[in-house]
Amino acid sequence: MAKEKKQEGNSEQPHKSHRSRKVGASAKKKSKSKPNSNDELSKEQKKLHNPKAFAFTSTVKAKRLQARATEKEQQRLHIPMMDRSTGEPAPFVVVVQGPPQVGKSLLIKCLVKHYTKHNLPEVRGPITIVSGKQRRLQFVECPNDINGMIDCAKFADLALLLIDGSYGFEMETFEFLNILQNHGFPKIMGVLTHLDKFKDVKKLKKTKQRLKHRFWTEIYDGAKLFYLSGLIHGKYTKREIHNLARFISVMKFPPLSWRVSHPYILVDRFEDITHPETVRMNSKCNRNVTLYGYLRGCNLKKGTKVHIAGVGDYRLDDITALADPCPLPSAAKKKGLRDKEKLFYAPMSGIGDLLYDKDAVYITIKDDFVQYSKDEVDASGTQRVKKRDHGVEMVKSLQNPEYLLDETTEKKISIFGRSEAASCSTDAPDSGNQREALEPAEQYGSGIQDEDGESEEDTHTEDGDRIESSDGEKILQKNLSMKTSDDSSDEENYFTSDHQPPAARNFKEQINFHDGRVRRKAIFENDMDIDHLKDSDDDEADDNDQGSSDTEIKSDKDEDASSHSDFSDEDEDHARDGDDMGNISKWKEFLVERTASRKNVNLMQLVYGKPVSESSNEKQDSSEKEESEDDEFFRPKGEGNKKSKEGIDDGNVDIEDCSKFIHYASEKDWRSEDLIESIRDRFVTGDWSKAALRGQVSEATSGDNGEDNDDVFGEFEDLETGQKYESNQTDRLGNVHKDDELTAEERRRKKLALRAKFDAQYDSSESPDEDNDGKSDTKFSHGQTDGSEYVDKLKEEIELRKQVNMAELNELDDTTRIEIEGYRAGTYLRLEVSSVPFEMVENFDPAHAILVGGLALGEENVGYMQVRLKRHRWHKKVLKTRDPIIVSMGWRRYQTVPIYAIEDRNGRYRMLKYTPEHMHCVAMFWGPLAPPHTGVVAVQNLSNNQATFRITATATVLEFNHAAKIMKKIKLVGYPTKVFKKTALIEGMFTSDLEVARFEGAAVRTVSKIRGQVKKAAKDEIGNKSIKKGGYAKEGIARCTFEDKIKMGDIVFLRAWTQVEVPCFYNPLTTALQPRDKTWQGMKTVAELRREHNLPVPVNKDSLYQHIERKAKKFNPLVIPKRLEEALPFSSKPKNITVRKQPREITAVVMEPRERKVHTLVQHLQLIRNEKMKKRNLKQEAKKKEREVERSKEEQISKKRQREERRGSLRKLGEITALQMSSWLLVLMSSYKSLAAN
Amino acid sequence: MGKISYLRLKGSQNFRLRLLLSTLSSTPILIEDIRADATWPGLLSHEVSLLRLLEKVSDDCHVEINETGSKLKYKPGIVMGGRNLVHDCGVSRSIGYFLEPLIVLGLFGKKPLTIRLKGFTNDSKDPSVDTFKSATLPMLKRFGVPPEGLELKIESRGVPPHGGGEIILSIPIVQDSLKAISWIDEGMVKRIRGISFSTRVSVQFENSMRHAARGILNHLLPDIYIFTDHKAGPQAGKSPGYGITLVAETTSGCFISADTAISYASGKEDGMIEDEENKELSPPEDVGEQIASTLLGEIEQGGVVDSTHQGLLFILCALCPQDVSKVRVGQLAPYGIEVLRHIRDFLGVKFVIKPDPSTRTVILKCVGCGLKNLSRKIS
Repeated sequence: MAKEKKQEGNSEQPHKSHRSRKVGASAKKKSKSKPNSNDELSKEQKKLHNPKAFAFTSTVKAKRLQARATEKEQQRLHIPMMDRSTGEPAPFVVVVQGPPQVGKSLLIKCLVKHYTKHNLPEVRGPITIVSGKQRRLQFVECPNDINGMIDCAKFADLALLLIDGSYGFEMETFEFLNILQNHGFPKIMGVLTHLDKFKDVKKLKKTKQRLKHRFWTEIYDGAKLFYLSGLIHGKYTKREIHNLARFISVMKFPPLSWRVSHPYILVDRFEDITHPETVRMNSKCNRNVTLYGYLRGCNLKKGTKVHIAGVGDYRLDDITALADPCPLPSAAKKKGLRDKEKLFYAPMSGIGDLLYDKDAVYITIKDDFVQYSKDEVDASGTQRVKKRDHGVEMVKSLQNPEYLLDETTEKKISIFGRSEAASCSTDAPDSGNQREALEPAEQYGSGIQDEDGESEEDTHTEDGDRIESSDGEKILQKNLSMKTSDDSSDEENYFTSDHQPPAARNFKEQINFHDGRVRRKAIFENDMDIDHLKDSDDDEADDNDQGSSDTEIKSDKDEDASSHSDFSDEDEDHARDGDDMGNISKWKEFLVERTASRKNVNLMQLVYGKPVSESSNEKQDSSEKEESEDDEFFRPKGEGNKKSKEGIDDGNVDIEDCSKFIHYASEKDWRSEDLIESIRDRFVTGDWSKAALRGQVSEATSGDNGEDNDDVFGEFEDLETGQKYESNQTDRLGNVHKDDELTAEERRRKKLALRAKFDAQYDSSESPDEDNDGKSDTKFSHGQTDGSEYVDKLKEEIELRKQVNMAELNELDDTTRIEIEGYRAGTYLRLEVSSVPFEMVENFDPAHAILVGGLALGEENVGYMQVRLKRHRWHKKVLKTRDPIIVSMGWRRYQTVPIYAIEDRNGRYRMLKYTPEHMHCVAMFWGPLAPPHTGVVAVQNLSNNQATFRITATATVLEFNHAAKIMKKIKLVGYPTKVFKKTALIEGMFTSDLEVARFEGAAVRTVSKIRGQVKKAAKDEIGNKSIKKGGYAKEGIARCTFEDKIKMGDIVFLRAWTQVEVPCFYNPLTTALQPRDKTWQGMKTVAELRREHNLPVPVNKDSLYQHIERKAKKFNPLVIPKRLEEALPFSSKPKNITVRKQPREITAVVMEPRERKVHTLVQHLQLIRNEKMKKRNLKQEAKKKEREVERSKEEQISKKRQREERRGSLRKLGEITALQMSSWLLVLMSSYKSLAAN
Repeated sequence: MGKISYLRLKGSQNFRLRLLLSTLSSTPILIEDIRADATWPGLLSHEVSLLRLLEKVSDDCHVEINETGSKLKYKPGIVMGGRNLVHDCGVSRSIGYFLEPLIVLGLFGKKPLTIRLKGFTNDSKDPSVDTFKSATLPMLKRFGVPPEGLELKIESRGVPPHGGGEIILSIPIVQDSLKAISWIDEGMVKRIRGISFSTRVSVQFENSMRHAARGILNHLLPDIYIFTDHKAGPQAGKSPGYGITLVAETTSGCFISADTAISYASGKEDGMIEDEENKELSPPEDVGEQIASTLLGEIEQGGVVDSTHQGLLFILCALCPQDVSKVRVGQLAPYGIEVLRHIRDFLGVKFVIKPDPSTRTVILKCVGCGLKNLSRKIS
């Protein structure tokens, strides 16, 4: 609206339009006349639109049209891709990109303001916000260098391309578009800014139109280009931002194949956790860092290798799932978001209220938010105090100025949850300073102790209790920062107070230095552990009744079995202990161990070993892993004896490698009737209904896990079938109704799948955002309403698969689920990476987002990559083989040296010196492997101060190989040294006899096209001078035979192919390890080196093209000997025909007298005419001369007049100037005159 | 190119498994203490032969063995596949030993694999080639392996100690990846088929084995057919022997197999059977009965595969895309357990193992590691 107003203001004032009559006769007249005119018009139209005009005239054309329509239809279809992510998705990344000074940060600020009502001081790092009830967004500003752009393109879900409307498109936009296209092509929206610079409305309109169409040609027709008309108070208009937010909120993000198969994390928080002491000792030591961010793409398993863009490949030391710092609001039915739910999280920008760590939560209170309300205790009286909430109490105590010693130094307070921590932060400044430097060490020293994830509420309530109790006594500075004395290493840094109550002693304090902000953290040690223990005790007590009985049964059975595994022994002991002793305290002592051991009697743990040992193994060498595995080698009961027979032992690592598991010893006599009966139902001859029941029952029971499985496992080996049978029957009876449930479940699953498919097709069915009315949805849904049958089927399959996966995984508990499928996409993770170069920390710049990409199996290996490459059409030069290029492939960026090639008809790869101008070619280079179909972007120059298009080429991976087979044509040249009849000895073609032997049988050719063959190395008898004769046997002379005798002057060629080595060079781009404003310098091209060292390009003189001058050949006349001539037949004999010059036929004309008369007359007439003409010419010439003289005269006169005129004008000029000047001019004029006279 | 970090392992156990998984996951391995304390330390001839086979089918794989052969460095390359390959498996283990890793490797090659293997076709230790043909290859098809080009042809038979058997194995490549399966219905046995063979002995042996096997199985099922495969002349290999393979097919398309072969064992090592009756070869009647009851034992166990195929099943499940695979097996065999452990170490895939009490089977679930056939070339 504002825009329109402006437009109106700018345009010329419009004339007031004619106001039509509303009442009266004329009004009536009009209303009458209107329908009439309409009728006429419609009649005319009817006349015009001949219905036959648009009917088919030709069937061929109709067919073609229909084919085209169906083709277009098919083009829209895509093979559906399986998106395996379940649960709520990670925030969608919105990358705001554009050339500098186009308004990127402002746009982010405005959007954040729109969503959260917060003012963002500056944009640094990713900013996560909750944008809707089911949607979160993460805004990232794309840095302006090409490396940053490449990284951003890899994690962007939506790219907002900001374009300066007043300037037009800039190279950055197109470069970024190109990078996006090659890395999966996420969603794109163009945003035009700086439109308020246009004063002319028409021009603005035209420019918009022009830019839009240019944008469309680059992406697709109809790509969204958004217009931001201008700034109001230094911000974009609210309305437009609102609209933009709407566009973003309804956007759908299709899965991209690379990202769906690789986990990745956009780091939104980065901490250095190296021990400060080691840093102090050596500031350049390798650092340990933690990276925080949402997991995207696919699931991340422990032990996955990751690539940190711009740093390198690392193994993750530790992964921890943290609570979501920016959770989605609860799914309550309401419209819109409450203010409370409009969360946002941007730790790098220094805002966001909460920071979650593995074991702590930081609360940041901003300066301007710290308002201390007056203590109302006195006014309201004691009753009010009692009414107060614990939390309020805590805050009040915090606000009490008594405790607040130095507000100015510490405004940001981090609380772990307990009120003491808060008061703790009001520490005396000196002690605070002391501690600041040391705190990370504490954090990680203590982290181990406080691992237990206790729920927040519990601690809060307990806080309250403590506050109340300790209300009377003042908590002063001296009882702060207590560390229990067991931490001996850091003891000197802490002062312990002896006379503290135990509750107060048990916390520590931490201060974080982060972006210049001081933050302190309080951590509690003992009491929490105690609480936790208590809890677990209770739980175990609950379990115990069952547990003890279970284990007892178990142990009994174990005794029956011939072998005992270690843990079952333990188990037994504990069970005995527990049952024998009536004393509760004693009984309790063993609880923890008992439950631990009880857990072990689980098939999974029997196979994989104890989780504890496993985790320790993970970090250590695998050799140790082997050993530990051997210790707890699984011996299934009943099989133990067999195993010992086979020689499978704990210590024996050299057992026979045999997949067959032969147990002849346990052979049963299958002739016996009852045995046969026992498996009768496994055959089609048995009871079908029973068998069917069997399968379903087992399916039903497979769902539930837990204790019953354990004791069942005891029976599992037991082969007393009679008992078993009974138990089965009871099971069956119980599970008949379960059977129905199962089929119902199956049906439900299928229904769900269908529904999901339907949703995928008509994406508008579920409006993802709350504040949207249906209109916008229908507008932007480009659902594929009519896909082909095949695609439909695929979609259904995928959905079904998804449902099955979900159902199977949902029945697992969380820990096993993480073990099985890894951390799910969408969780907030904390990654620990050790021994990162210190430069990463030193040069960390929050404006450059860190991308951590997971590597699939085998992607950390290096090999020869073969890609199909095309030089970008905007890059000015063709690319040269062996000129280093920088390649972005997968998560990586690296410099490498490619060899270009093209595939010949016969499948041979022929090396090319340069890439073709407008064609694809194959490029082969050494580098880390990436799967086929991966997109590649190649860049040659990283520097920013470059006007040209920086992307040199784009490519896709074809395959990778461990051997490069690129051939190059080679032409061996030799000269004959001796020519026999048809044999010749060729020299200079080969350097040794061995080489000759290699080429035996190869085809050779002379310049005069005589073909031949290499026979053998010439013996010194025939070719070379023998050694005896003083010469030395020359090597490399080949004997060749030709189809004809060759001349000594001939040159002999051998055309062959030789393999080209692809250089084994690749250099990862370590841009994160250097200041970002510095351009990364890698290997230089030869041309660059030459330019630097001022070296000329070496020229091979022979290779220069020269103009060939050929003399016209002059042939001697053919002379035939007399005798030969005589012998020739007549037809071949040279005939004596003298060559005449232009044989002319002169015929004598004898004229009749009349003719003669006529002829003479004609001649006379001609003569007369000629004479006349001569005279006329003379006359004309004379006239011409005269005219010329006249003209010269006139000219002179005109010159004079002109001079006069000029003089007049000068005079006028002169009059303005002083008199002296005029007099001087007069003199001058006189002189002119005299001159003219002359 | 940085330093290669090897996964360090110990001992000669599960040698095939380690090499297979190392190649699939392209992790270099270093195995130490291979029979370091044995009288004959180091790798045995069949293990060396396996390494040679790997070198043959793959490109750029590096194998380093120290002098005594007790230490091995293996850096896997890319599986190339190809036609007209020939490998002599030697006379210490049967072809089955080589086939087990090879059929998985072949799936993830650059080109389809066709290879001629020479050696023992049947022996008592490893699954016979008949088992592979009738039980293993159908199992592969369940995982989305294209059926065309999946073939095993027995040219001639050979038994220990001198061998002389020859087979031609052809395996197609998977286009992208395998398919996750949910395979928990073992069904009911609807037919039993089998092959009894004899080389360089009388046909009578086959017939008596057949007869004995049918004697047991006929109590349960009428649809039993055991083919006889009498080889003579050059097709019969170099040493006398006889054996039988039985495969039970269920209504849900599971194949449960059992096989054995009897021959004069080579030298020191003697099979399981010879344990009881020293050097005394068991008569064909006993063999037939024994194998029939083994088959019934396997059927009684109640998995979708027999105990021999458990390892292969687990490997295939682990190689699936990141979907849930669910399979039911009988009692976990020691080899299967080893496979599970190695899968965790190499591929990072853990199985959820739940016993199913009512049927006394075990249900395993896993999310595949998402291995794709990366070496495949796109056009």
